[in-house]
Amino acid sequence: MGLAHWFKTLLAPQGSNLLLSARDDGEGRHHAVGYRLDGRQVFATRVSQRCHAIVQHPTRPLVLFVARRPGTECYLLDLRDGRLLQTLTAPPNRHFQGHAVVHAAGEWLYTTENDTREPGRGVIGVYRFDGQQLARHSELSSHGIGPHELAWLPDGETLVVANGGIRTEAESRVEMNLDAMAPSLVLMRRDGTRLSQETLAQPMNSVRHLAVAGDGTVLACQQYMGEAEHCAPLLAIKRPGQPLQPFPVSERQLRQMAHYTASVAVHDGLRLVALTAPRANRFFVWDLDTGAERLEVSMPDCAGVAMVADGFVVTSGQGRARLFDCRGPAPVVRVLNLPAGYWDNHLHRAL
Amino acid sequence: MFRPTLLFTSLAALVLGACSPQDQQAVTSAAIARQVILPTYNRWADADRQLAVSALAYCQGTASLGTARADFLHAQRAWAQLQPLLIGPLAEGNRAWQVQFWPDKKNLVGRQVDQLVNAPTPVDASHLANASVVVQGLSAYEYILFDARLDLADANQKARYCPLLVAIGEHQKTLAETILAQWNTPEGMLWELSHFPNPRYADAHEAIADLLRAQVNALDTLKKKLGTPMGRQSKGIAQPLQAEAWRSQASLASLAASLDAAQAVWEGVDGKGLRGLLGKDQKNLAGRLDAAYAAAQALLADNQRPLAELLGDPQGRQQLDILYDGLNTLHRLHEGELAKALGIALGFNANDGD
Repeated sequence: MGLAHWFKTLLAPQGSNLLLSARDDGEGRHHAVGYRLDGRQVFATRVSQRCHAIVQHPTRPLVLFVARRPGTECYLLDLRDGRLLQTLTAPPNRHFQGHAVVHAAGEWLYTTENDTREPGRGVIGVYRFDGQQLARHSELSSHGIGPHELAWLPDGETLVVANGGIRTEAESRVEMNLDAMAPSLVLMRRDGTRLSQETLAQPMNSVRHLAVAGDGTVLACQQYMGEAEHCAPLLAIKRPGQPLQPFPVSERQLRQMAHYTASVAVHDGLRLVALTAPRANRFFVWDLDTGAERLEVSMPDCAGVAMVADGFVVTSGQGRARLFDCRGPAPVVRVLNLPAGYWDNHLHRAL
Repeated sequence: MFRPTLLFTSLAALVLGACSPQDQQAVTSAAIARQVILPTYNRWADADRQLAVSALAYCQGTASLGTARADFLHAQRAWAQLQPLLIGPLAEGNRAWQVQFWPDKKNLVGRQVDQLVNAPTPVDASHLANASVVVQGLSAYEYILFDARLDLADANQKARYCPLLVAIGEHQKTLAETILAQWNTPEGMLWELSHFPNPRYADAHEAIADLLRAQVNALDTLKKKLGTPMGRQSKGIAQPLQAEAWRSQASLASLAASLDAAQAVWEGVDGKGLRGLLGKDQKNLAGRLDAAYAAAQALLADNQRPLAELLGDPQGRQQLDILYDGLNTLHRLHEGELAKALGIALGFNANDGD
């Protein structure tokens, strides 16, 4: 894509939202993709390992597609055309866990990793940008087992880390410690200093994914590893200055999640929280402040969710992507002209 | 909370021309829903209505244990036929657990039923609605009527277990009628499988994908229902008490009923099943699926012995191995080649997310 076209799309207000995701094709090949909301493909870059989260550089047109655990390669792409700039390989005895964040000044990148010599020991890999290349600098402890997503609090200096609590080995996704899981939510400084560590009442709830509101409210969604007939809370909230606690979801709704949530997103403008439950083929939206139910809808294999001005875009591994316009009291759903199916776990809207 | 209003882009509407693949999928989805699925849910609701009546009659002494058992087997069969048709309301909200508690590795059914009937107040349907799923369904019903440790000829024992039996019958009837209503209601599940787009399915392809997913899940579950007692998950040591419906020796009959229903979705009525969606160039695949169904059906039809007996001798175990392989072939064909031929991505995030 030419530079002139790039500027033109930047200026176009409608449909110009750029959506980024990992996506497969029907033959099982992996791609890092960028699509406009109106369905135009910006890029689909073939990559060798399946990716999970997408991290955008705060100031430069760079985007990192992070390996899905237990992957060992992340891909740094040019956001404008999807050109592969670097394949970032995990160091020996480490694999990526699926998520990363870039510091606001644009110099440092932090990833969640697994120490495979001591399977499950959570590591935060620290990388430094040098032009269009990333180099490993050092590492920190995640202060827990099996870290998954990490995010910034609004100060841009405090990291919140979801330690899933599950031990896995190199090249494996098999859980080793379902009888002794130790999930936790950790707040830590960028230098690795732990500020707090909180747990939930149910130790078989693996804390996986995070969303942080502009006021510092943290949402943490979970996957319950216990018996199928149980009913377990799967969404927790930590409001500023308050302890981590279950978000008030009704038992009826909890039973509509099949113990598994894929992504959580917050809409600051509309004060909403959105959650995908692909095993139950269900998408939920609540009022962030009151917990009131705003939307519950069937959507096959829904997983990726990203905030847009009017509400949320949700992608699917099986069906078509939808835009849920949540501005009015009754949400409106619009089916998008994006290619159907094979969208992976997370969706990122480019800023 | 609001049901969302559905809009769809003009472009999406335009591509839905007559005789397009979408059109054929919409016809197929509607046909499977109306001609295969809905009649099976109706039979299930009828069987559960009969179950509720039967429990009362048996407990009031106007029907024999033999009749009560026959009515249970009828309800169990109706439920087994729903296995490949578990989409929509019954597949959601953990409701299927209310019908049957399987697998039951720790005999929770036996223990919790005994606990409940030994409590000071007798259970009724409203109490049962809030109880554990372990005691709400057919597995608990079967335990009461068939477990060898119970002696229902003893009037005291019968009086102790009867309130729960009646409550389960009532609970199952209510559940089945609720689910059936959710299929039949305006813009309910039947409508959602027949009119596209709708709040559940953006297009007919999503509905076909959901139908195939239910098939694949059911075939996988059938493998587990057979493989678990065969010891496939326990180093080859047979586990007859881990079978579905082992107390009533209805394991293989249930399996056969589920397989019948899966085949009905594949074949459809008047050819309007999943097979009808395969093109002429996919005749070979259709033939192999037909053959795989026929082979599995023949194995079940030829066998006259109950599962526990087959597990007990080498010849029987060999028969079960062949049956398991047959189910595996069917499962793999659906999950792999059929899904690919129909352009369906199966549970990409649900089964293999993070």
